Amino acid sequence: MKIDNKRNWFMGVFLIVFLIVSLIFAAATGAVKISASEIIAILTKGDDTVNASILMEIRLPRVLLAAVLGAGLAAVGGVMQAIFKNPLVDSYTLGMSSGAALGAVLSILTGINISILGIKTTGVFAFAGAVLTLFFVYSLAYTRNRMSINSLLLSGVAVSYFLASVISFLMMLNHDKIEHIVFWTMGSLSMATWDEFFISSVLTIPSLAVLMYYTRELNILVMGEDAAHHLGINTFALKTTLLITCAVIVGSVVSTGGTIAFLGLVAPHIIRLIVGSDNKKVIPYSALMGSILLVLADTAGRVLIQPAEIPVGVMTSIMGGPFFIFLLKKQKN
Amino acid sequence: MDYQINVEKLSFSYDLKKVLRQVNMSISKGGFFCIVGPNGSGKSTLLRVISAVLKPQEGAVYFEGKNINGMKSRSVARLLSFVPQNTSLEFDFKVSDVVLMGRYPYVNKLKGESGQDFEIAEKAMEYTNTTHLKDRSFMELSGGERQRVILAQALAQDTDILILDEPVSHLDLQHQVEILNLIKKMCVDRKLTAITVLHDLNLASAYSDYIVMMRDGEIKRQGTPFETLTAAGIKEIFDTDVYVSVSPVGNKPYIYALARPEIKKIGIRVHVICGGGSGSEIIGRLHSEGFDLSSGVLTIGDLDWKVSKENDVQIAEEVPFVGISGEAYAKNKELAAIADAIVLTGLYLGKSNIRNLELLLEKDLEDKPLFILEDESFPERDYTGGTAFQLYEKVKTVKRTMLVESKMLKEEIIKAVKAYENR
Repeated sequence: MKIDNKRNWFMGVFLIVFLIVSLIFAAATGAVKISASEIIAILTKGDDTVNASILMEIRLPRVLLAAVLGAGLAAVGGVMQAIFKNPLVDSYTLGMSSGAALGAVLSILTGINISILGIKTTGVFAFAGAVLTLFFVYSLAYTRNRMSINSLLLSGVAVSYFLASVISFLMMLNHDKIEHIVFWTMGSLSMATWDEFFISSVLTIPSLAVLMYYTRELNILVMGEDAAHHLGINTFALKTTLLITCAVIVGSVVSTGGTIAFLGLVAPHIIRLIVGSDNKKVIPYSALMGSILLVLADTAGRVLIQPAEIPVGVMTSIMGGPFFIFLLKKQKN
Repeated sequence: MDYQINVEKLSFSYDLKKVLRQVNMSISKGGFFCIVGPNGSGKSTLLRVISAVLKPQEGAVYFEGKNINGMKSRSVARLLSFVPQNTSLEFDFKVSDVVLMGRYPYVNKLKGESGQDFEIAEKAMEYTNTTHLKDRSFMELSGGERQRVILAQALAQDTDILILDEPVSHLDLQHQVEILNLIKKMCVDRKLTAITVLHDLNLASAYSDYIVMMRDGEIKRQGTPFETLTAAGIKEIFDTDVYVSVSPVGNKPYIYALARPEIKKIGIRVHVICGGGSGSEIIGRLHSEGFDLSSGVLTIGDLDWKVSKENDVQIAEEVPFVGISGEAYAKNKELAAIADAIVLTGLYLGKSNIRNLELLLEKDLEDKPLFILEDESFPERDYTGGTAFQLYEKVKTVKRTMLVESKMLKEEIIKAVKAYENR
């Protein structure tokens, strides 16, 4: 048990250092190279050069936003996999992300785009879309006090496809706004601003804290609903709390970055391969891992085919898909 | 008497389907309680209502006077633990982690598990002989080992009541006995009350202090194994005929399923002269081979008499200890006369049944094929001071008498009967 703790402590420190290095690397990389020492100089002294404005107005908000969204998505993936006791579940397979995207698209098309206390209607619509879809998928799979995980996945995927085609249909009808919508369906951080970073941090970071608070219960939930109940957990209240929290995160992610696939599925699995299934470790480490992956994926998307940009959602899929297959094969051996 | 748990007028339905109807039962502390009944009789639902997973529409479950549905889930978890039929995890946990989960109802959320919690979990593993597994991954374990780990978890939960839903149905005999022994030991050592659903009636009989029999959501019978596991009781609950005797080990009822497949009759009738159990195996075998059978003269209550009854064999019977009356003798002779062959088993002979041998010297039966199964040990079985032996020697000289090994009996009978017909 002692060796275990040491390894975990090491793992946490390693991930945090890795994240800081990734953040600096991402901020330094791009069409204009800014050295790490220059970044530190700008941050500490507040220079007024061209590089400083590129860093402060364009790169930094984007890189930090990527870190927050990545953490949110990965933690949501880990939590949902534990709740539904299935390694294939995340905010995508249950249709939450498609629902949030449809909400965002509807807010763009209707032109209702005002901002109250810094929270834009797009965000509210995305959250509502995520919650409504989750509720719908859940009620489809829930019959006679029992929930079958197979029907949950099936209805999630079916609803997801349906919503995606509704979005395509709306795109077809609204050629003028197509670019705006594509941004949401592919997932991109190119419009990142400080405002967006602050708002999603305010929504995501407390939500992450809520998820971390319930990791012990998540472990027990893996034993099964009845077992959890017999150990004194009000499973209905717990699941509702966790899923609403997940919806808040997904809504905040989708309304700022669009739908970013695969991250929520892959990050927790990478962590599980290293530290095992204990959610007390899996959820926080997955959040860190998600941050690192999204920051790096976004940076790669920015620089690979300059001056064009690959949307980050495409990058996560391209990188995540094969890696996931590799992990599965390795695990089997 | 003070009961620990009182179930009063409990009714439960899923949607419109009534699963439990007006269930009443009382459970006293430290006992092994067993619920038996056919599939769909509401056993598992009853367990789930008792453990407050389901809320009954009517009635209530009281633990030491308190309604369990009014209690907080954490308090319920300190009161009763649950062991399901089997546990499988999608994500892998170490055995020690699984056992430690049993401490959840006591753990302070912010401080985490204390040294005492670890100690209790370790003791629970020692008790269930799972300490050596503690660093193994739960999913790598065999079914029996997993059930022991889940029992360790339940033990770590430190409850007064242990509820088990078919805890051994997935296990082989060795592990069934191992798990049930462990549960029984927990009842005795720790004054734990076990409430379990079991499918195997003989295991239920061997381990239970009290048995509740359910059918169609109602409790039909309840009481000690001897009061409940009777042929009539089992017929009422399971719609099945069984033979109930007393287990020679442990002095509990033992239930035999009656193997009665549809047997094609071969149209040959055999009369078996037996008694005292000497004919039981032969009667069972010949019956299953399709012979029509009769037996005699048997005293009522004799083992061969019981077996004959169970197999629908016609019997020439006599009340015990009076010897063979003229009436019984005549009946025996009549049955022997209509049979195609007669079999003499290795029965013990005394004053009261010697007339069974005399029968074989009857002029009318001279032509009947007679098969003697046991020859060597005859003098040891003779309690008539030699009279029987003299008769026996005479019987052997009757022209159609044969000594035969019991495994050859079927063939020899068929051969003899055919030869007789073709004569």
